[in-house]
Amino acid sequence: MSDTFTIGIDGEQLPARKGETVLQVARRGGIHIPTLCADDRLDAAGCCRACLVEIDGQRRLQPSCAWQATPNMNVKSHSPRVQRHRETLLAMYMADHKLGADGLPIHTTQGNELRNWALETPHKKLTPVHSPRKGRVEDLNPYISFDPELCVVCAKCTRYCDEIEAVNAITLTLRGSETTIATHGERGLLDTTCELCGGCIDVCPTGAMHAKQTPRFLQPEEITKVRTTCNYCGVGCQIDLNVHKGKIVQVTAPPVGETVNDGNLCVKGRFAYNFVHHEQRLTTPMIRGADGELHPATWEEAITFAAKGLLRIKDQHGPHALGFVSSSRCTNEENYLVQKLARAAFGTNNVHQCAAT
Amino acid sequence: MTNSIPEIEDCDLMMVIGSNTTEAHPVIAMAMKKALHRGCKLIVADPRAIWLTQMADLHIQHEPGSDVWLVNAMTNVILAEGLEDKTYIEQNCEQFEAFRDNVQRYTPELAEKVTGVPAEQIRTAARMYATTKKAGIFYTLGITEHTHGTDNVFALANLVAITGHLGVRSAGLNPLRGQNNVQGAGDLGAHPDNLPGTQKVADPVARARYEKAWGVNLTTERGLNLTEIMTGVEHGTIKGMFCMGEDILISEPNAGQLEAALNHIEFLVVQEIFPSETMRFAHVVLPAGCFAEKDGTFTNTDRRVQRVRKGVEPPGQARPDWEILVDLIRACGYPTPNYRTPAEIWDEMAVESPRFMGISHDRLDRDGGIQWPCPTEDHPGTPILHIDKPMRGKVLLRAVEYRPPVEPTCNDYPLVLSTGRVLYHYNAANQTVREMGAVLKVPNNFLEIHRFDAKQLGVTNGEKVRVISRRGAVEVEAMVSPRMKPGLVWMPLHNFGDPSNRVNLLTIDKVDETTGTPEFKVCAVRVERLAA
Repeated sequence: MSDTFTIGIDGEQLPARKGETVLQVARRGGIHIPTLCADDRLDAAGCCRACLVEIDGQRRLQPSCAWQATPNMNVKSHSPRVQRHRETLLAMYMADHKLGADGLPIHTTQGNELRNWALETPHKKLTPVHSPRKGRVEDLNPYISFDPELCVVCAKCTRYCDEIEAVNAITLTLRGSETTIATHGERGLLDTTCELCGGCIDVCPTGAMHAKQTPRFLQPEEITKVRTTCNYCGVGCQIDLNVHKGKIVQVTAPPVGETVNDGNLCVKGRFAYNFVHHEQRLTTPMIRGADGELHPATWEEAITFAAKGLLRIKDQHGPHALGFVSSSRCTNEENYLVQKLARAAFGTNNVHQCAAT
Repeated sequence: MTNSIPEIEDCDLMMVIGSNTTEAHPVIAMAMKKALHRGCKLIVADPRAIWLTQMADLHIQHEPGSDVWLVNAMTNVILAEGLEDKTYIEQNCEQFEAFRDNVQRYTPELAEKVTGVPAEQIRTAARMYATTKKAGIFYTLGITEHTHGTDNVFALANLVAITGHLGVRSAGLNPLRGQNNVQGAGDLGAHPDNLPGTQKVADPVARARYEKAWGVNLTTERGLNLTEIMTGVEHGTIKGMFCMGEDILISEPNAGQLEAALNHIEFLVVQEIFPSETMRFAHVVLPAGCFAEKDGTFTNTDRRVQRVRKGVEPPGQARPDWEILVDLIRACGYPTPNYRTPAEIWDEMAVESPRFMGISHDRLDRDGGIQWPCPTEDHPGTPILHIDKPMRGKVLLRAVEYRPPVEPTCNDYPLVLSTGRVLYHYNAANQTVREMGAVLKVPNNFLEIHRFDAKQLGVTNGEKVRVISRRGAVEVEAMVSPRMKPGLVWMPLHNFGDPSNRVNLLTIDKVDETTGTPEFKVCAVRVERLAA
């Protein structure tokens, strides 16, 4: 088998590479197949059944997310048989899912792929089943919450916890319609191996796993996403600040494959943004008075005071009696300015930062 | 890093030495876990049984500070068994003979005596590393925070070079840098020896560039590094300081002595986002905007320059650091331009710095992050360094001699204290002590101690103990832990909102002569029960 070949999908010949799945080939070729449980970072699970397609020579419909492309194969992703399957499947998901006033799965701040699917697909209406799925009632962790009424049991969260974060804090438990996402002994996440990375929220297609700190039902137009770089360690994860009414309400990871962090974040990058709006932030320039205390001042007073103080040391003791401590937490441009302050304005090379690593 | 983060998942072997990656660089650890999921092998060399050791094929638990012995002995095995890349050495290395003669004395059997690692384990590690092409070495402060940190890095560089792991995808020598922009801050000239673009102050060509650009004569007098500035404060030779975004009283070693010295400083400017310990000594405080409140760039550990974008307004009258700095420079009498945006500041810098000439904010907005060197606008950036040949022409193999840590244990101070990071907090923890999750997970400072040592002292898990070094004493809870090695205790480097128990009251202010990095990883302490 050569490494590149073509396969037929819906009558089109699409280029494929050895090892790719039918879903990957279809997506690259611009053919839309609905999915709930697929994620390029995870091993294919083939469990949500949304992506089933008809493959010539196969008696049953097969999951395109798990089925490897082979030369000369022929796939139908929108045949009447596939459509019939999808309509029924969608109706079954919706019968087991919390619906809004419009009779559709509810929109959440992080979206709801089941709702998107229902919006684009005709579907039957089945009698609601009120499945007995349960969440954890008393979980005191401040970041991650689970709403069983929105869960479609695609297991993306538990697979992420196993395959990517590798801490196995959450798992599928029970059987049949009771199947739910749980921890060992129903403990709160703080008392498990969970490292609060929040990847489970990120991968959840329906908003069942959601961020406790974030309002749950914001519309996309109420949020401005600003792509920036995380301010913690040196990995340089790209993050999207989700800004609502001038405040950060959530940090999300850019899509898989786009940036250095490949859709992943850690507990600090994803959740530790509350310091930004913290009441103890410094908000006023201050000058130490004759009483030994710091007193509020205007910017002009503070800058003049700072400049005069530094210049006085230079005049009395020479430029090398000054030390300039720049910061590995600040931007490149700001570090450039601090060394320019030291070298160009004062004439000393006494400039450094905490470059221990 | 010589290589890039996206290459990690394709490694066939990773050697992680002196890096608690899952806690200090969690998202790089995810890339490592992905590689392991694929079947990659893992060697962890660390005195503590860190999380990654659960997934390791080999855990080398060497004595703190014995890295040179360990790495030299691995090199010794490789040369003795003929596993080196002879072609690479011949074409790309110099001073091989002197280097070889030196490591011949570092046999695995002798290494066992110093490192405590069985000779056979050292041999296994050496063979695994030398015979795997896509083998990357990853290190962090466990290598650098020693008085012989530079020697540790040279020893690792020798190992990488003689096995031909340089300039190879998913291999190389990869320091994982600790802060969001520690790489960039140094690159941009916040360094006593370097002008922007890591051009030496001593280099007349580089100096002439910036003398012309800035219209001043630059001094060639050697500048002081951070530790020397602090010593200067203590000795009274540094009279005034400008300090931005670092709480030196938390982050620097031997903090007690430093605090006494700061009482005598004549003038101190502090530019910060939160009240800090250092601020208690400030004559003027300038409130700054945090990362989410300003534009600019950070450079990450794989040399990737990426955009920082403003999402929200700074609180109250706080202003982005760059705006404050422009005003301050001008008030100090130097007519720096009134830049309208950080992009203009970048351009002023980049035009004089070959490494950055091809990078602009516009291009970063269009293409995403770019890895330096990037000399021209059509240059794609450099994911892997030294790819055709070493950048300096040849790899200079250095004969590295072992030097013990400066403060050996003794009867009065019988335990080795090492320091490091925990996942939930960040450095001085000025930000994370204000985070509910971090505080719930790790509320207080603690001392990790092996059960043998705990038993000998009569200390039980969770009991408050006094940790005493020659420089100070702190009271923290004991955490009896199977991760420790007997004789070794460990504390986080963070300040948990109670500066009276911060570890830097204990640490030693002796530094690596080349880098000025203090020996945070080894000092001698004793532990006492509070009741006793």
